[in-house]
Amino acid sequence: MKDLREHTRELLEKGEIAAVIGYRQVSEMRTKPVIVTDPADAEHLVFNEYCLNNLAVYLTKARIKALCRTKDKTLKLAITAKPCDVHSIVALIQENQIHRKDIHIISFNCHGVVKDFGCEFNGDNLASKCITCETHKPLYFDKIFGEEKETPKASDQALARIQELESMTHKERFEFFKGEFDRCIKCYACRAVCPLCYCQRCITDKAIPRWIESSSHQRGNFSWNIVRAFHLSARCTGCGECERACPADIPLTLLNRRMAIEAKRSFSYVSGRSLETPTLVGSFNEKDSDELFM
Amino acid sequence: MDKQKWEPKIVAFVCNWCTYTGADLAGTSRMKYPANTKMIRVMCSGSIDPVFILKAFERGADGVLISGCHPNDCHYNAGNFHARRRWDFFHELLDFIGIEKGRLQFSWISASEGKKFADVISKVTKDIKALGPFTDYQKMNSEFTAFFPEETAEDHEVLNKVEEIV
Amino acid sequence: MMEEKIISRDDLLKICKDVIEKGHTLLSPGIAEYNVVKDVSQIKLDASALPTKTSYKSYVFPKAEPVLYYKRSKSDVQLIDVNVDGKNIIILGAKPCDTNSLNIMKHLFNWDYSDEFFNLREKHFITIGLMCSHYDEYCFCTSIGLSPVSEKGSDIFLIPLDKNNFALRIVTEKGKEFIEPYSEFLNTVDETLSRQVTENVKQPEVAFDCKEVHEWLGSNFENPKWEGIGNICLSCAQCAFVCPVCHCFDIVDEDYSYTEGRRMKNWDGCQFGNFTLHASGHNPRDIQSKRYRQRVNHKFRYYVDKFGEIFCTGCGRCSRGCPVSIDIKEIVSNCKD
Repeated sequence: MKDLREHTRELLEKGEIAAVIGYRQVSEMRTKPVIVTDPADAEHLVFNEYCLNNLAVYLTKARIKALCRTKDKTLKLAITAKPCDVHSIVALIQENQIHRKDIHIISFNCHGVVKDFGCEFNGDNLASKCITCETHKPLYFDKIFGEEKETPKASDQALARIQELESMTHKERFEFFKGEFDRCIKCYACRAVCPLCYCQRCITDKAIPRWIESSSHQRGNFSWNIVRAFHLSARCTGCGECERACPADIPLTLLNRRMAIEAKRSFSYVSGRSLETPTLVGSFNEKDSDELFM
Repeated sequence: MDKQKWEPKIVAFVCNWCTYTGADLAGTSRMKYPANTKMIRVMCSGSIDPVFILKAFERGADGVLISGCHPNDCHYNAGNFHARRRWDFFHELLDFIGIEKGRLQFSWISASEGKKFADVISKVTKDIKALGPFTDYQKMNSEFTAFFPEETAEDHEVLNKVEEIV
Repeated sequence: MMEEKIISRDDLLKICKDVIEKGHTLLSPGIAEYNVVKDVSQIKLDASALPTKTSYKSYVFPKAEPVLYYKRSKSDVQLIDVNVDGKNIIILGAKPCDTNSLNIMKHLFNWDYSDEFFNLREKHFITIGLMCSHYDEYCFCTSIGLSPVSEKGSDIFLIPLDKNNFALRIVTEKGKEFIEPYSEFLNTVDETLSRQVTENVKQPEVAFDCKEVHEWLGSNFENPKWEGIGNICLSCAQCAFVCPVCHCFDIVDEDYSYTEGRRMKNWDGCQFGNFTLHASGHNPRDIQSKRYRQRVNHKFRYYVDKFGEIFCTGCGRCSRGCPVSIDIKEIVSNCKD
């Protein structure tokens, strides 16, 4: 922790970076995002198993980008990111939303985070993304802190849930999702917290023509949730922020995870893993399967 | 609903350069195929947004067909290649949410394949007939149907009038 | 009016059963939301539970409701009214921070125009409040003039005396009317018993003074603090949608066919960028800091100026659920430093 604070303070004092997007402890088992521009404030920065937010969401915000622009040059932006958040940063770079040279990634050897604030860190309260996580060490970073530790063991309930759903009939599955989507109140928290939902104007905000009804009745909720999942298919890096933010407890990661499984199965592609490869849906291959087409 | 009498409503989104022209050929060659499909011409299979399909289901379609140029024949070079990847995901997503895969079908039909067009339409119509009416999505319109029970002849007149204006 | 009786838990559940059998809707707090009770064994009546994730405002002010249907005929447009069913809704075990919510919302829905949908539903809404014995770091009911034992807004208020018995206070006429048929279950009780419980209840500390906050907001419209919060806030409307009193709505037309459609009244939230976007393209609250400033000002200043009541119940839902942990209590109580 001391290293992290010293490192960022040094960078800020030297004027190499404009700001640090980091975490601040607000209570024993809760942290919140903080944007540090003053070197003196670097002492608030922390990193622990309660750093749940995916801070990559701030990288594409115009107001944050504006912090980096000075009269004669553009400064770097430092971000503290868990190894899984680095995937989101990679995806953003792949999609040309940010440039690698503008970002200073401070990452950590991660051994998992809790599923929600106020939970004690152990095998029962591990976030579901951490259970299947294979990148405890970040793929890309400029500075790394922390020692390698083991993640507590837990069972992968999300995958079991997907398999259980897939064994149902179409009618049963439709009823299941109807029940889940029914609770949606269209607060769009899922969209707001997603680092990859960076559109300046979301399709659901377009009123003429109104493709996705703004009412949160069954029809409107279905089209919104289907379109959200579709727009993130093969792009979602699985940070699980949407599900955590949802006030209606809709299992949104089921859909995202199912699409990630499809990307892996049909195209051997995992989102946000390599800066060199183009994104899956932004590119094509003439040799792709033609199975679907008559 | 009487299953004997019921006829499926199918919406086909077809590309201007190949499938639509192929349909034209089927017509001028006087080929016979079921009349359940309503065609919507778009510029490229790559320009079909999935919300079009959701809207079709919302408005009571029992099935949707998407058809474009064969790979490497795209008028815009790569439109159908991009579409191919996208549709794979959308198809899987709808299946996972509980919409049978047969409700949404895809084909490549070139301008010279009038016969293939007639065959595809016949096959899709047969498939959707076998699946039956798509009531899951239509049930979500129940609030409307409670207020507007059936289309009357007068409705059709208004509708025709509106279509004229459009 | 205030009458105090004692009722056993079993008798209370018997009343609930009767209420359900009569065809009324009975609501009771679950973990995430207030659920419609189908089986009385679901009812927990737990005074130590935290507020649910969402409030029960959707039963009076639904998230999406049709206000009229329209149908185009040959020469004109025919409008079809929507009838609100005046079904009784009984809410059992509402938190004291929730019970006052309808009283606060009532001001807006009866200000320049009287909203018959809200009023009719509110008229048939019977609130049975339950004392609250537990609070967390986000609760601040005491700061805005309520308390865990506040009867404000309840028609009937319950205070747990021991495991199986509740003191039942009849607060309003509506409550009296509701409980009258069940008077056989009510017994007289020594009022000092319940007073002992309410006096010893744990209360969150008073975190701020509303008058001071009101004053500070009036003179700090351009304070750089707003910018700091605006940088963190992500513009979702989670805070507004889980809030028991937030009442903004949007009117949209939704078509069913060329000739038919309806007009919908949907929840809207002031943190959305589109909320104040004008047709001209101008947006008076174009950046997030202005939107968050509006939220705090509306709650602690504008509403007070207009209707004389603080537009907040201190339940802390918005802070508890905020994806980026923005805490309204912290912002308001630290405003001066």
